[in-house]
Amino acid sequence: MHTNPYVPIPVEVAKIITEVTTKDIKTFRFAFINKEDEENFNYLPGQFAELSIFGKGESPIGIASSPTQKGYLEFTVQRAGTVTSELHSMEEGTLMGVRGPLGNTWPIEYLKGKNIVVVGGGFAFTTLRSLINYMIHDDNRSQFGNITVVYGAREPGLLIYKDELALWEKRTDLALNVTVDKGDADWKGREGFVPAVCKDVAPSSENAVAVICGPPIMIRFTLPVFFDLGFSKDNIYTSLEMRMKCGIGKCGRCNVGHKYVCKDGPVFSLAELDKLTKEY
Amino acid sequence: MEKKVIKKDALAGIVKKLAGQMPVYAPVQDQDNVLFKILEQGMEPMLDFGNTRNAPKNCFFPQAETMLKYFRTERGRELAGVVEGAPEAVLFGVRPCDARSFILLDYVFDDPKYKDTYYMERRRKTAIVTLACVHPPSTTCFCTSVGGHPMSSEGADIVLADLGDRYLAESLTDKGAAILKKFGDLANADDAALAKKKELSEKSEKEIKSIIPGNDIKPWLDANFDNPFWDTIHKSCLACGTCTYLCPTCHCFDITDEVKRDGGRRIRSWDSCMSWLFTQETSGHNPRTSQKERWRQRLLHKFRYFVDNYHAIACVGCGRCVQYCPVNIDIRKIVTDISKL
Ligand SMILES: Cc1cc2nc3c(=O)[nH]c(=O)nc-3n(C[C@H](O)[C@H](O)[C@H](O)COP(=O)(O)OP(=O)(O)OC[C@H]3O[C@@H](n4cnc5c(N)ncnc54)[C@H](O)[C@@H]3O)c2cc1C
Ligand code: SF4
Ligand code: SF4
Ligand code: FES
Repeated sequence: MHTNPYVPIPVEVAKIITEVTTKDIKTFRFAFINKEDEENFNYLPGQFAELSIFGKGESPIGIASSPTQKGYLEFTVQRAGTVTSELHSMEEGTLMGVRGPLGNTWPIEYLKGKNIVVVGGGFAFTTLRSLINYMIHDDNRSQFGNITVVYGAREPGLLIYKDELALWEKRTDLALNVTVDKGDADWKGREGFVPAVCKDVAPSSENAVAVICGPPIMIRFTLPVFFDLGFSKDNIYTSLEMRMKCGIGKCGRCNVGHKYVCKDGPVFSLAELDKLTKEY
Repeated sequence: MEKKVIKKDALAGIVKKLAGQMPVYAPVQDQDNVLFKILEQGMEPMLDFGNTRNAPKNCFFPQAETMLKYFRTERGRELAGVVEGAPEAVLFGVRPCDARSFILLDYVFDDPKYKDTYYMERRRKTAIVTLACVHPPSTTCFCTSVGGHPMSSEGADIVLADLGDRYLAESLTDKGAAILKKFGDLANADDAALAKKKELSEKSEKEIKSIIPGNDIKPWLDANFDNPFWDTIHKSCLACGTCTYLCPTCHCFDITDEVKRDGGRRIRSWDSCMSWLFTQETSGHNPRTSQKERWRQRLLHKFRYFVDNYHAIACVGCGRCVQYCPVNIDIRKIVTDISKL
């Protein structure tokens, strides 16, 4: 293993899944080239990695797989600029690099023994998916209380991880609420915005923690719902995004106040965010 | 550690000779500027200069450097090699403010969790020889207001003080002692030399006329992120980045890839928080929308955030940003104005 934190770990694109009808969001499964790298890549849900394509650059992307899924890593990426477009044009079998795991994690130890409410909007569902798969794994499920999930997208074709959603739907130890802003002819599920669905589902704040990720507008309207339900700022967590380069707190790019989102984040409780400058 | 004296006219020759044995970075005249450069064969360092235009951070954290190389294969682009390793070297003629800057840069690059391999290798292998300021070189010097002193040995492996007819040379670390041995046979310092240094030190401190309340503004900065004062300082700023590039403590960088036909390299180069691109995201969102937010970031990073993280102000009072800002924005005045609010 390299001790130089800027050297990417070599991986192979093992599988590509096109998640949405607009085709601009794909999940990439990477297999490690070296067994040793695989063994050393110890991560927890909430962390991210720099996807590294020589000649194009690097992009920080949340890890969408769960550490309980052995042998590979998954990332769900929206096509945006240079690196993500190159990634989208790749085929299975291509070699590239991953630098990580980076950043902090969802507060797993703190979540243990509590009821967990997971709220996601759009494709920001990635590290939440990691968290859910981690919690419902046979080895871990008994350590968490009730698990309630609210997940929404604009339309049915934009929901990601559809096969997994179908499996979760069948489980009795997880309350799944999938919603779309506007359904189509085939849509039999819920319609409505995420904040409204949260209000409707009304998870109890008793011994509970909410973990929320999504577009800023969704977060803005969802938080008051949780405050009304009695969730304190210590018990609401979210993940921040800032432009990044190094991912290890050196290039000076991603600070919010005195915290570097790459190194001290990306996960923060609302109570922690209240203490920082509002510049993100 | 050792205390020696060096004859006044011998020092330049000693450094010239040392430069024949290992890389020596030292101040040299380059057209209108004095810059830190590697001494070429037969070159002598400048000893009579105010301060260099560029900060010595270049030696450990160059303006641009290759991090790694890659090549194209049928299966993609693969790592060809990592550019690592540095020879033992000497950084000679560093002013005390700039020597202190390395202690501040170490907090960032020598973080307990992530070591910056490139910076650290050069840093570990390089001995720093400080040339104390028996007279503050410029009216813009304000080291004493931010935790420094014109004759300080902080950050140095060897500190030299010009006593008039000779230099007092003190080694402070093992690395310094090893280099001082290479200076040749030197006489031990007598009590008169040490007393003279003390006297010069007190005098030099008094000669610093630029005093700012550097330590007093933190509570105001903590409480006033949204104060209308921030609308007043950035108006003339051109976002040229001069202040950040010349600053010995500014460490922000960019990482970019250079592409050639069969491969290429990944490069790190200095970047600046004064540029709008610094925080611009692909979506178009930018948390710092105008020069106001960028100037506030620059000041808060130095006088608030760095203090929160490392209990030190990230300014060593070298005065370069004051001297070379094309529109005369003066960080001393800003700090002073804040202290009156
Ligand atoms: C912690 C974290 C997790 C993320 N997780 C995901 C995810 O799971 N899926 C996903 O699709 N996107 C995610 N993003 C956003 C993603 O990083 C950007 O969309 C991506 O970097 C754009 O890179 P590009 O090269 O395609 O675009 P360009 O416009 O060419 O960007 C150039 C470079 O700027 C930087 N950059 C630009 N925008 C951002 C940004 N919003 N955040 C961070 N760096 C940026 C990157 O270094 C990028 O390579 C995440 C961002 C962060 C900070
Ligand atoms: S902020 Fe200005 S005075 Fe302070 S160390 Fe940087 S360049 Fe020197
Ligand atoms: S040197 Fe002056 S003009 Fe240039 S970015 Fe700094 S403050 Fe602005
Ligand atoms: S990405 Fe470089 S400091 Fe956070």
